[in-house]
Amino acid sequence: MDIRLLTTADLPLIQHANLENLPENYFLKYYLYHALSWPQLSFVAVDVSRPRKGPYDYPKIVGYVLAKMEEEPTDGVQHGHITSLSVMRTHRRLGIAEKLMRQSQLAMVETFQAKYVSLHVRVSNVAARHLYEDTLKFRNEKTESKYYADGEDAYSMRLDLDDVAELAKRYAGGGGEDEDKDEDKDGEKKSKKTTTNGAPAAGATADLAIRSEGVDEGEAVGEVGRDPEANDKEKKVKVAVGRGLGVGDLVEKDESKH
Amino acid sequence: MPQPLAPKEAAQFRTIIRSFEDKQYKRGLKTADLILKKYPRHGDTMAMKALILNSQGKPDEAFPLAKEALTVDMKSHICWHVYGLLYRSVKNFEEAIKAYKFALKLDPSSAQIQRDLAILQVHVRDYQGYIQSRTAMLQARPQIRSSWTALAIAHHLAGNLTEAENVLTTYEGTLKSAPSRFDGEHSEAVMYKNSIIAEQGDFQRALDHLESDAKHNLDRLAVLECRADYLSKLGRKEDAVQAYRLLIERNPEHIDYYEKLEQALEISQEDVAARKAIYDEYAAKFPRCDIARRVPLDFLSGDEFRQAAESYVALMLNKGVPSLFANLKHLYSDSFKKDTLREIVEKYLASQDIDSESKDKGEAAGLYYLAQHYNYHLSRDLAKADEYVDRAIEKDPKSVDFHMTKARILKHTGNIKEAAEMMDKARKLDLKDRYINSKCAKYQLRNGENEKALKTVGLFTRAETVGGPLADLLEMQCIWYLTEDGEAYARRGNLGLALKRFHALNNIFDVWQDDQFDFHSFSLRKGQIRAYIDMIRWEDHFRDHPVYSRVALDAINLYLAMADKPAANGTNGADEEDALEKKKAAKKAKKELQRLEREEAERQAKQDPNKGGQAADAKKKDEDPLGLTLAATTDPLGEAMKFLGPMLQAGPKNIDAQIAGFEVYIRRKKYVLALQCLNRSLAIDAENPRVHEQVIAFRKLLNNPPSDLAPKVLEALKAEFTAVEAATDLTKYNQDFQEKHQASPLHVLSAVKARLTLGADLAKCEKEVHGLIEHASATFTDAIAALETLKSWRSAEIESFRKAALTKWPNVTRLSE
Repeated sequence: MDIRLLTTADLPLIQHANLENLPENYFLKYYLYHALSWPQLSFVAVDVSRPRKGPYDYPKIVGYVLAKMEEEPTDGVQHGHITSLSVMRTHRRLGIAEKLMRQSQLAMVETFQAKYVSLHVRVSNVAARHLYEDTLKFRNEKTESKYYADGEDAYSMRLDLDDVAELAKRYAGGGGEDEDKDEDKDGEKKSKKTTTNGAPAAGATADLAIRSEGVDEGEAVGEVGRDPEANDKEKKVKVAVGRGLGVGDLVEKDESKH
Repeated sequence: MPQPLAPKEAAQFRTIIRSFEDKQYKRGLKTADLILKKYPRHGDTMAMKALILNSQGKPDEAFPLAKEALTVDMKSHICWHVYGLLYRSVKNFEEAIKAYKFALKLDPSSAQIQRDLAILQVHVRDYQGYIQSRTAMLQARPQIRSSWTALAIAHHLAGNLTEAENVLTTYEGTLKSAPSRFDGEHSEAVMYKNSIIAEQGDFQRALDHLESDAKHNLDRLAVLECRADYLSKLGRKEDAVQAYRLLIERNPEHIDYYEKLEQALEISQEDVAARKAIYDEYAAKFPRCDIARRVPLDFLSGDEFRQAAESYVALMLNKGVPSLFANLKHLYSDSFKKDTLREIVEKYLASQDIDSESKDKGEAAGLYYLAQHYNYHLSRDLAKADEYVDRAIEKDPKSVDFHMTKARILKHTGNIKEAAEMMDKARKLDLKDRYINSKCAKYQLRNGENEKALKTVGLFTRAETVGGPLADLLEMQCIWYLTEDGEAYARRGNLGLALKRFHALNNIFDVWQDDQFDFHSFSLRKGQIRAYIDMIRWEDHFRDHPVYSRVALDAINLYLAMADKPAANGTNGADEEDALEKKKAAKKAKKELQRLEREEAERQAKQDPNKGGQAADAKKKDEDPLGLTLAATTDPLGEAMKFLGPMLQAGPKNIDAQIAGFEVYIRRKKYVLALQCLNRSLAIDAENPRVHEQVIAFRKLLNNPPSDLAPKVLEALKAEFTAVEAATDLTKYNQDFQEKHQASPLHVLSAVKARLTLGADLAKCEKEVHGLIEHASATFTDAIAALETLKSWRSAEIESFRKAALTKWPNVTRLSE
């Protein structure tokens, strides 16, 4: 299992994973729309240990997070949104969903200055709610009545990204800005400084990892694992449209929803 | 020159355009008719009317009208533009481009026409044309950044990296002040330029550019990854080490970073201790990191492997991580590791300290592992697998995973029927999980239960989709289901529905290709250029997706069988049988159609009449829901080409594609192309049994060329076909092949088939095929292949073969079908 940024070639496999795991589905163009609008925000978990099958082997995707930025936030605050997240049942308990989410959140802050991230989850999806509420510390904002096409309610959740912003700042400090400043002075000092700067940044990361994961540290990966089918989705209605329409329509649809 | 209108009508004409843009088609038509009442031969209005009619799904009215508009007003850019738009809508891009170019000649200042032309050019990959168009567009609107970016993209795609970079640099030179740090378009443009520099192989310059221009770039991950990559390529090992360490801090679950770190540290592959130390360091630092713990198992050996595996396996079993086996099975190609892992789990199970109460951790997890171990093809012992899975089920009789594995074990015994039943049992243990629902439907399809499977998946498809679950699966492009559904119908001999599915799948791939269209302009607005380039490059080869070749091969095989079947004219027994079968099939199909209609009527009756839904109902009615028209084609080989062409183009290294290509071309008497496929197959795997059959067949053909083969072509073929000399005794050659591959039942089978090609007695060949059951290493899969061969010969031996095979392999569903 390997976690990395998605590429266009992954999209049919993400679509496949989505269709296998979740009831909210989209055609490929909707995935393209995400990948070509916010390519930094979506990540996949790939089974890299699987032996290659032939000259045109495609990666086996066992989990993905498909994320976006809200294009015209009603509250005027830049924020991200999780369109869909799922992990194959066979790959639970490795904390994949959580790890995917953390990568996405970091990119939301770094690339798009997101202040918070929102998502919808089925009221009945206990496993997913556990991931969002207990592990990732999302808080339930409100219930959206009959959000899903089958009439089920959704919890609308959000997580402030202040901690992630803090983390992003430390990453930037460790590798980037300080080093640049030193560069002006002298090269030797610079390389030395890089090393020392690098270390605290690293320590800070580990810190944060431990802090935020402290919750289930005891029972470990097991807890996180249950979420795999964790998912949530944009309103179906929107998705149903698509194929005949242009990308612009997809976008407008999104906006009209709010 | 557009014909002039009176002011009132001119205003009305503008209304038409607005109505069209707002998709208010009825209103647009009405207005158009108003103008045409007064000016019945007004070309532009006729053209706009045609355009609207086309958007309403009436191309049959639209095209003649658009043509008439052109005859009325040859000099109108609007008429030509519309003509192009119509052609574009039916995907005749070549004609569309021609029409746009005419329109543009008549009105060189039209930004709209220029834009439509440009988009179509990049869509069909006419990069030189695209460069021209983008140059013109840049000249018209140089103040807009995306005009520059677009021209750079055109040069980039055309392969002219220097020019692409120059264009970007020129634009940067026009900037009076540095754009804001949070200007997303600028940030991306910098990274795009950086990728172009790197693509030129000039990593020093790429690094310098990155350090000077991307200091505060918003795409942090890309900057860090590029920087690390350039540093390592430039041999700045120490800096590369730092860079990769930083990346691992951010994401410790990406293998690539570790491998690059090893390279930067100049650790040799053999220095196992040093490599292990790196992973250990990160395992300690990130207690929940999987990669740092698991990857060393790939390169450790002997006792070191055993130790590391022991602690990894114990950790995972204690936690009950169900993917443990999936994460380790790649190690099974090493038999020491395979045995060691089994021993470790056995030892784990024998230990007193493990959790024997839990439903999924400790003992239960260990049993589950061993069940999967014995179910895996490299360590298969299905009796043991079944024993272990039963013990696991005892621990948790409600476990979906354990039952799912039991179903898989049954599948491997060949008992697809019971496997499907078991999967259904697993499904019922968690009705809210679509994953197990999907697996269950798949097994039902493998068992030929198409109707049942549709009901199963129907539990998760959207209820309100017109046309029921299948329509939803089609709309959502659920390729796995359509593939399995088609294959199941093919096995059941339902040609119509099988072809229906395969064509539907082909259409989905067409849609994926069309999907890129809107992004040619969208991406320029969004500014995410690298992602766009990535998409363009993927679209150029996306049909190498394994599902495409699978479906294409399925369809081609059906068409080949159709082509090989003699026309049913009732002149002999076999044909009478055929005719009878056809009658039966037609009767069945009629019933099925009636059923579908009934169901649809019921569904509509149930629908809330107050709810709209008109839009969906307006969807075109499928005129051939059962694929009867497809199955009745008189040109199966021509139809096969629709699948073969794209498959061969996307995947020339796929031997199955080449093999299928030979079969299609030889029947179409396209001998040069057939030989091309055969030679490619030989280059990929000369010992492939089916390639051997084709070699024999082709040599025989050249030795006894058909009379209509032109002598020149024959000479060329002889020169190009060198696998077997003309003078070779083919019977002996075939015999040698069989002896060389005596141990492989499939090779023997192919040798027998080749013998028949060479004129051997059919009864004798049948006997030999029959004899394969006794072959020492024959499996039931080989027996199924042998049975298929007998079926294709319409052999009288089929039943006796079936009986004998089922005695040796009882419960194998495919042998009794």
